[in-house]
Amino acid sequence: MGLIFTHIRRFFTILRSEVIVLPGRLALVLFVIALLALPLFTQDLYFLRIVILTSIFAIFAGSWDLLSGFTGQMNFGHALFFGVAAYVTALLNIHLHFPPYLSIPLGAVGAVLAGLVVGIPCLRLKGSYLALTTLAFPIILTGIVFAIPGVTGGELGLSGLSRLSSSRLMDYYITAVCMLGLGLVMWLITDSKTGIILHAIREDEVAARAAGINTTRYKLLAFCMSGFFAGIAGGLYAHFMRLAGPSTLEVGLSFQVIIWSVFGGMVSIYGPMAGVFILNPLMEGLRVILGKYPALPEMRMLLFAALVLLTLRFMPEGFIPWVLDRLETECPRCKIRNVFFRHRCRICDAAMS
Amino acid sequence: MNTRRFIVCLAAGFLLFAGLCPSAWAADSIKIGILGPMSFTQGEGHWNGATMAAEEINAAGGVKVGDKMMQIELVKVDTNEFLSIPDATNAVEMAISRNKVDFLVGGFRTEAVMVMQDIAMDAKKIFIGCGAATVEICTRVTENYDRYKYWFRLTPINAGYLGKVDFTLLGTVGAIMKKTLGLETLKVAVVAEKAAWAEGIVAAAEKTLPEKMGMEIVGIWRPSPVAKDCSAELAAIQRAGAHIVFTTFSSSVGLTFAKQMGELKIPAAAVGINVEAQKSGFWEATNGAGDYVLTINTYAPVKITESTLPFYTKYQERFKEAPNYTAGTYDALQILKAAVEEAGTLDSDALVPFLEKTDLVGTAGREVFDAAHDITWGPGYVTGLGTQWQEGKIQCVWPYNWEGITYEGTVPYKLAPWVVEAWKKKD
Repeated sequence: MGLIFTHIRRFFTILRSEVIVLPGRLALVLFVIALLALPLFTQDLYFLRIVILTSIFAIFAGSWDLLSGFTGQMNFGHALFFGVAAYVTALLNIHLHFPPYLSIPLGAVGAVLAGLVVGIPCLRLKGSYLALTTLAFPIILTGIVFAIPGVTGGELGLSGLSRLSSSRLMDYYITAVCMLGLGLVMWLITDSKTGIILHAIREDEVAARAAGINTTRYKLLAFCMSGFFAGIAGGLYAHFMRLAGPSTLEVGLSFQVIIWSVFGGMVSIYGPMAGVFILNPLMEGLRVILGKYPALPEMRMLLFAALVLLTLRFMPEGFIPWVLDRLETECPRCKIRNVFFRHRCRICDAAMS
Repeated sequence: MNTRRFIVCLAAGFLLFAGLCPSAWAADSIKIGILGPMSFTQGEGHWNGATMAAEEINAAGGVKVGDKMMQIELVKVDTNEFLSIPDATNAVEMAISRNKVDFLVGGFRTEAVMVMQDIAMDAKKIFIGCGAATVEICTRVTENYDRYKYWFRLTPINAGYLGKVDFTLLGTVGAIMKKTLGLETLKVAVVAEKAAWAEGIVAAAEKTLPEKMGMEIVGIWRPSPVAKDCSAELAAIQRAGAHIVFTTFSSSVGLTFAKQMGELKIPAAAVGINVEAQKSGFWEATNGAGDYVLTINTYAPVKITESTLPFYTKYQERFKEAPNYTAGTYDALQILKAAVEEAGTLDSDALVPFLEKTDLVGTAGREVFDAAHDITWGPGYVTGLGTQWQEGKIQCVWPYNWEGITYEGTVPYKLAPWVVEAWKKKD
């Protein structure tokens, strides 16, 4: 009993001293609570659908950041992982009747293999050459999809997958928990020793190699890990939509994930994920609002483009880091972050100015 | 209780009742969700056709549901399906769960329609498809009737039937060329845009033309759907001595190809599918070089039925363009009206048997659904049309004495003068 009490007290101490004191962390906690508690207030099917798709795309955006943000391996064809996993998941579910809890992880393993296929030839490439090469892979796979319609369903895709779960509410919790859990895992990876090495490769690959790091192995690892997380997103998508079609490999999806990540703020995992949670519902809101005026639906993409351009112009690090920089300041002495209105550091008591 | 207080209480009670019972007020109208990519010409067709039908039905008093007359209220559902499948699913979900539509009509891109179909079937909403031609969408009805029985396809005729019309048009033009020019064996150039949907037609052409139609294939060309220059293909076709170019185009390459073919006066007749040539602006877009191009179509200024010409003329006057096949939403609303009036209810399960018995003379022909809830094609039903550009006007040239059918206003097919000149000289 005493042990439990100690843990509870410790939890509240951490909450008071490490979470509530920083707006970013507080916002994250409130977001998690709101996400998990949302169905208590509404179980509107449309609303839940929006959040489910947003959660799936948030995993996808986080996985892109892991590869391109942290490791610097600029991937312009990230839809490849998403699409491969969607197709593998669909094939396993339709032909071998694997339930979603098996077909989705195995689909992600398919995406890992795709990561290896892409990663190996791309290891020697850098910058724009790497970006353009990765862009080609989903296009090649789209060609293969159309070439073997007997297996892939061609233009129609593979439909008739079993449902993710028995109800929309359950779908919601599965995707939300997966998003939160995988987001945490990705963040822990970037915060681990491996994450530091990936970061080092991004900053200076030659220096990392000179330090004795097998950069080839780590770059391949990044491709595979990113492929796995994107694959989970692709598998969830296929089961939720009950379809794996050529649209999962579209160039537009590859660019969409870059836009979400750049908007939210790269090299943070939570930035791209937050970017999806802002932009995806916003675009849907614009669709609904502008749809009421006959001449305005075309303005949606224009507004979207303008928003992204303005973000890039005035918030080059992304929206979330920009907001955090205004809400939190770093202590000049101990580098600990403090809420912006504090005059003295909460840890070392140094003057914040 | 004084009078003032009584009025206030009455007003408050009325407002409370109105607030608690929104469905009681909404029940005076039948809500129909019109699904389509509204920023594109296909979606505009969906909306325009449905708008015309709804206005006409409402002006005539509405739809009789049991003893009650109800007005039609259209809900514009922009699916954005060309660009985003999730957008399409969100839009349909919103139409069903938020806008509380009673029926769904429209859809275009097959991949999106299949997902939207699933959402509609989950909600047991009648969904009349007016855009996707793929056979498999209706196959679902026969494979799993209980789930997919709420789906019906009205327009276009399915891809299999489109192929039949396609080859019938080719055979018709071939016969005319043989007769007019005295040609013995016809040489055909197969030109299809490099897209998945065209693969089946190319494969069928490779087999059918030499084996069943006695035609020689001089080559197969597959330009990009968005090619801006087809002069190389056209030069090769001319060198190959083709009499007919069998086209399969749904994208902008159809415009480029037709324009350059006319400008270069390639001595061959263009026959087949060219979606660009179905549009009113085709003549201006090709600077008149698109003359003599023949394409499959759904609507033309001919009397397919009594309602075709009034619909065509009114549509063209109002929207300044000819209706494309997605404007078949006009007939979809008429079909729904007939079924609802007969069934006397809006309940989907009760309506399905009445929709299955549909036998309506619509704007595109006699509309009857088959066992797969697909529109029946053939003589006496919906046939589709072959339209040719003749001196700046879109003219119906097929069916022309086909299975005893010639629609009033149909004109004979015309060969381009340079085609006649080229091949008559050689004789």
